[in-house]
Amino acid sequence: MSVSIKADTALIDNRRMSDQMYITLLVASVAIGLFLIASMLVPNFFQLQNMLNLVTNNWAVISLGVGVSFLLVSGNFDLSVGGIVALSGVLSVWFAQSIGGANALSSGLGLPYWLALLAALAGALAIGGLNALFVVKFRIPSIIVTLGTMMVARGIAQVITQGSQRNTNLPDDFGLLGSLKVFGTSIQLPVVFMAALLLVAIFIERKMLFGRLTYWIGANPTAARLSGIDNARHITYLYLFSSAIAGVVGILLSSEFQSGYSNRGMLMEFDALVIALLGGIAIAGGFGSVIGMFFGAIILAVVTSAATGLTLSPDWQFILKAVAVFLAIMAQTWALTRRNQ
Amino acid sequence: MANQHQSPALSVEGLIKDYPGVRAVDDVSFSIESSTVHCLVGENGAGKSTLIKMLTGALQPTQGVMKVNGVAYQPNSTQDARESGIATLFQELHVVDELSVLENLTLGMEQSRFGFVIHSDLEDRVIQTLATIEPSINPSARVSSLSVAQKQIIEIARAASSGANVIIMDEPTAALSEREVERLFTVIRRLREQQVTVVYISHKLDEILTLGDVVTVLRDGKHIVTKPLSEVAGRSELIDMMIGRSLIQNYTPRTAVTNEVVLSAKGLSNSLLKNVSFDINKGEIVGFYGLVGAGKTEIARALFGADKVSGSIVFKGQPVGNTPKQAIAAGIALVPEERRTQGLFTNLTIRENIPVMNIRRMSDNGVFRSSDELTAAVNYVEKLGIATNSIEKHTEKLSGGNQQKVVLAKCLFSDADLLLLDEPTRGVDVGAKTEIYDIIKNLADEGNSVALFSTELEEVLGICDRIFLLYCGSLKSVIINGPNLDSTDILNVVTGGNKGVTQ
Repeated sequence: MSVSIKADTALIDNRRMSDQMYITLLVASVAIGLFLIASMLVPNFFQLQNMLNLVTNNWAVISLGVGVSFLLVSGNFDLSVGGIVALSGVLSVWFAQSIGGANALSSGLGLPYWLALLAALAGALAIGGLNALFVVKFRIPSIIVTLGTMMVARGIAQVITQGSQRNTNLPDDFGLLGSLKVFGTSIQLPVVFMAALLLVAIFIERKMLFGRLTYWIGANPTAARLSGIDNARHITYLYLFSSAIAGVVGILLSSEFQSGYSNRGMLMEFDALVIALLGGIAIAGGFGSVIGMFFGAIILAVVTSAATGLTLSPDWQFILKAVAVFLAIMAQTWALTRRNQ
Repeated sequence: MANQHQSPALSVEGLIKDYPGVRAVDDVSFSIESSTVHCLVGENGAGKSTLIKMLTGALQPTQGVMKVNGVAYQPNSTQDARESGIATLFQELHVVDELSVLENLTLGMEQSRFGFVIHSDLEDRVIQTLATIEPSINPSARVSSLSVAQKQIIEIARAASSGANVIIMDEPTAALSEREVERLFTVIRRLREQQVTVVYISHKLDEILTLGDVVTVLRDGKHIVTKPLSEVAGRSELIDMMIGRSLIQNYTPRTAVTNEVVLSAKGLSNSLLKNVSFDINKGEIVGFYGLVGAGKTEIARALFGADKVSGSIVFKGQPVGNTPKQAIAAGIALVPEERRTQGLFTNLTIRENIPVMNIRRMSDNGVFRSSDELTAAVNYVEKLGIATNSIEKHTEKLSGGNQQKVVLAKCLFSDADLLLLDEPTRGVDVGAKTEIYDIIKNLADEGNSVALFSTELEEVLGICDRIFLLYCGSLKSVIINGPNLDSTDILNVVTGGNKGVTQ
């Protein structure tokens, strides 16, 4: 039976945008709207440099948000990323510190710099592997598993730094990665890392089979399994992917500050989760996008920096974030229900 | 006996329930006398569940009157029904495992003062009731330590002690072993001695013949007969009343059937299946027919690698792997029993649903072939006649029949040689049913094999070339479809009768 191509095209509906596109546009317009409102209220807010700063100051959380977003879309949480940031940073310092310093905190393993970084990354991946093992193999809810590994990772970092930080006896070029400027501009390497990561992630999500598998698993894990998808393997990849990003973020931060600090990245897992939710990713999985998460980060950044600009005490920032999250999520739910009536 | 002059415990007059396009219960009138075990029988779709749902307040009748002890009765919820003395025992158990037997029995009826639970004569009454119907259960035992049958008895005791005069039991023996069934029957008989009326619904005709006092037969939503079981001449009369017509035989022998075996299963066994062996040939449509719980879904899932099973399954000369992924790679696809929870990605569009079972074909070095997806979606929507104005429609917004066609499209796109269809027309309207049958026949005519797992005899007799009859996890008989089949014999086999099928 041959079917004419002409008749078919009626079924291809290009006029109506998808729910995904709709929510992403909604989040983007809220971000832009908030920015304009803040520009009216806060002096000197409406400047190109300020716009750039909103993004570049948040490179770490946005990067973590990529891994967290993929996992959320697949129906899983990752609360361990903040802990991994601390762990990999501390490990990279400890591995790179030369042997035989004046005290325990100034003597490390004396590995070559590149090897120290690889080993620190391996440490981060180990936490990701642990997440995958418990979630996939033992079927423990991911929120519990990653809450546990969050504390394991930060706990190890704390033991290695004895609850303080390590910042002496480091190789000369240790600070290079974190402060490297690209092509003579003021853009730093970590920001380039974030931008590249976003582009790759968007390509994977929109154009690659890997992205589509993530949506299928998140939308209905049972149907995915009965359709021949290896959910276990895919979720393992996602946890390794997320922990690798967190590992790199931790290494870059420790290089920028030239120190390994066990409290670094504190609450970053929650910020990453918040921007993903603000960006319209469904907490039950199967819906959402990395671009949405990016605009979610902008919303959060505008709110917090406008608050600072309005000389609101920093003590109020948590409450402000909470209000922003509630409003944004209510608005999304309302918009989707209305649209689909 | 004074009872004979009482008004019936429960009666319905001219009861009608309409659904869009179909009348599920059509002018049903009968009465249930007090202190009897009243059985309700009929094929799937005869209207039993709809009737029960109206009696328990879960559905409102379109027309007609229901009476309890001669008084008009219009329940709006199961709570209303409970207050009028009608309790229901559903197939799923509603007991709290973490509490003791006594706590379960008094759940929701505790009396309190200032927020503290106080001791009342309620507990004594409840213990007394339990002791009357099943003395072997210790009231202080934890419910989690009890067997399924004992839990069921707890539910019955709860219903009885809450003052229910009528207890409706919907397939109570589905999950019970033979010995447990005996115990349940003892309990039911004791209830009857306590002036409780039991409405008993079961597909297992032997149980009805052993236990029941009176039977009511429903067929196609209509009331056929209500009469004492002492006047029923055994299973065969019961089956005749249930079917009442010779089934429409529109089966025509197919020419595409070959003798080449594609799948051979030997000695499949698990917690339900008992040593099931069969072959499926190329180009053939085979049916697996049996009641709910006979093991159809278990066989389908075992062939597909979704559940563990012992025994051997050989497909095209190779052993089948033990994951759905391996089964699909070998050329087996499954349309699962529950399309919304197991088959479809309801929050994704038709287009996004179709390619999932053949991801190898969709990947160009990891890049997703979006244009192939578009073409496939358009083709299958046209080929299977999926009623939609756009392939971008979310599948949750499609009707049951169209959803099922999307699931079929998924399977067809996987290029399978053997299609396993578990209840493919459940909840599908008549028009879509015929279309689905045509799709199945076309597939088999193209040289594929199809295994249809169904609880509808008419469906199996309509399209299958060979039919395997199942009862309680065993393969009882194999029949070759043809014009002279006696459906009474088939029903006899799948309801646990001993007589084989004569051909």
